Amino acid sequence: MYLELARRNLQRAKTRSILAIVGIIIGVMAVASIGIFGNSMRQSVLERFEDLADTIIVSPKHSEGFTEIDEDDIKLIKKTSYIDYAIPVKDKREMVKYKDSKAFLTVYGIDEEDLKKLYEPYEGSIKLKGSAVVGYQLAEDFGLNLGSKLTVGGEQFKVAGILESQGISVGLSPDNAVFLSVEDFDKLFDRGYTSVVIQVESLDYIDTVEKSIDHAVNRRDEKVDIRDFESLIENIEASLSTMTQFLTAIAAISLLVAGVSILNIMLMSTMERTKEIGVMRAIGAFRETILRIFLLEALILGLIGSVVGAGMSLVGGYLIISMMGFTTSYILDLSSVFYVAEGFSVGILTAVASGLYPAWKASKLEPIEALRYE
Amino acid sequence: MKVIELIDVHKIYKTAYYEVHALSGVNLSVKKGEFVAIMGPSGSGKSTLLHLIGCLDKPTRGEVKISGIEISNLNDRELTKLRRDSIGFVFQQYNLIPTLTALENVELPLIFCGMNGGEREAKAKELLKQVGIEEVANRKPTELSGGQQQRVAIARALANNPTILLCDEPTGNLDTKSGEAVMKIIRELNKNEGVTVILVTHDPSLSDFADRVVNIRDGRIEVEDVS
Ligand SMILES: Nc1ncnc2c1ncn2[C@@H]1O[C@H](COP(=O)(O)OP(=O)(O)O)[C@@H](O)[C@H]1O
Ligand SMILES: [Mg+2]
Repeated sequence: MYLELARRNLQRAKTRSILAIVGIIIGVMAVASIGIFGNSMRQSVLERFEDLADTIIVSPKHSEGFTEIDEDDIKLIKKTSYIDYAIPVKDKREMVKYKDSKAFLTVYGIDEEDLKKLYEPYEGSIKLKGSAVVGYQLAEDFGLNLGSKLTVGGEQFKVAGILESQGISVGLSPDNAVFLSVEDFDKLFDRGYTSVVIQVESLDYIDTVEKSIDHAVNRRDEKVDIRDFESLIENIEASLSTMTQFLTAIAAISLLVAGVSILNIMLMSTMERTKEIGVMRAIGAFRETILRIFLLEALILGLIGSVVGAGMSLVGGYLIISMMGFTTSYILDLSSVFYVAEGFSVGILTAVASGLYPAWKASKLEPIEALRYE
Repeated sequence: MKVIELIDVHKIYKTAYYEVHALSGVNLSVKKGEFVAIMGPSGSGKSTLLHLIGCLDKPTRGEVKISGIEISNLNDRELTKLRRDSIGFVFQQYNLIPTLTALENVELPLIFCGMNGGEREAKAKELLKQVGIEEVANRKPTELSGGQQQRVAIARALANNPTILLCDEPTGNLDTKSGEAVMKIIRELNKNEGVTVILVTHDPSLSDFADRVVNIRDGRIEVEDVS
């Protein structure tokens, strides 16, 4: 019956109630869809990174004065158990020219078979006997085609292959690089190996492999740095969730606005119904009864707004995600349900919290004053 | 047996700029089943007196006893309970809840004391029948005439079988004919059910309905006519 009373009071001021509900809907939608969006973004970014997580990169320890990795050490590294492969790479920043374009780029010296293990060709094939393989972005920027003659360190190399675009990658940065065979590299530059890319059999062995390399190579001197990408992924995850939190905070402001409008609407309603409150108190309503009726009104507003808002946030989340070009496959994920639930409960909480003060004020009215009110 | 007893009651309203001595030393006792009319010009303190008897307010000084209970010592909750269980109010402006139907308005005090739905509706219907408007039970106050609204208000006042019915200018907004009908209902209640009635009015023609008339002027009781 109190419910019915509350419902009718809301119906009496229909426009106002609808405005309050719209406010809550927008707030809940903003909070929930940004949550869903942030989550989807995190999942799709992490999915790309997870492929890289089983990679270990060994590089010379510059702080100890080492700039290269010895051939002997590379042999030791290759013998480590639980690894799929260990690929030694040389690199150098060097002027690369093609027709009118020129730039300082990374030139890698790598074994042909090893390069095949790392990347797939987008065009042509991975052949390094007197020829070069270039990254996707470089081909794009320089307008390179298969057969184009590229000048590296004064020597010309025919482009035999263009790699697929990698985007995010670890260890090497292939998109803007030139790959030469180790023999060709050695003709141009006098340089030893500068890194080893190791693919571990499974994520579980990362620590074991790192320890055994450390044990084998760094026994006497700290010669090499051993890095994996677990912490990198953790960092990315942390910064993505910071970003999501920031967006959610902005969304929360819209809920705050909704809360203020409910506060305002309910205060108006309290004023208008002063006399009614007085009458109810006169005929035997306790303060709590008045409090309950008003809170119930706020609750109903919050409930309707939150239900509709939660439903619409799935749609809103979908729109943002597809607009930003992330995969929408995580929308119906369990964690999305969590964000919808979060938006829902925050919506209800906002409504009830905003109703608290007006309801308290209504319940504090002295019946005699309320009755005299015109 | 005294249902209402006021001993040297003073009521002073303090506003920011001045004080109003609404009641200055009122003594009054009302026996169970009595029908007392309190008459006086506007501003003489009638409503103030009625609100004190109705436990809506406390006196600045003096004692107000309802069924022997001194109200100054009661807290808000206890006063509310007393109003709910022992007192019925009928106001000049009817004061029905506009969102509720006639029937629901009568049910309201029954809700406040926790009566269940079926029993409540039956009782409310019975009360509307008693005041002769059962046919408009499902109408909202705005769809009722003044006389009908005041009858609903009386039915609502009676819902919890009060010992005291307090009427503040109940015919003030009504035409003569419906005013008379309302007064007849109130007198019937007094005669047949033994409800103690306090009627506040500035209309001398209503004095005929009362057992006793108390005249009030400037917050003091002037003459007591005993008929
Ligand atoms: N809450 C209040 N604050 C200040 N003055 C009041 C208040 N209630 C009543 N009064 C004053 O007290 C006097 C008596 O009022 P009231 O009891 O309403 O008279 P009546 O009902 O006989 O017209 C009037 O002068 C009125 O203005
Ligand atoms: Mg008055």
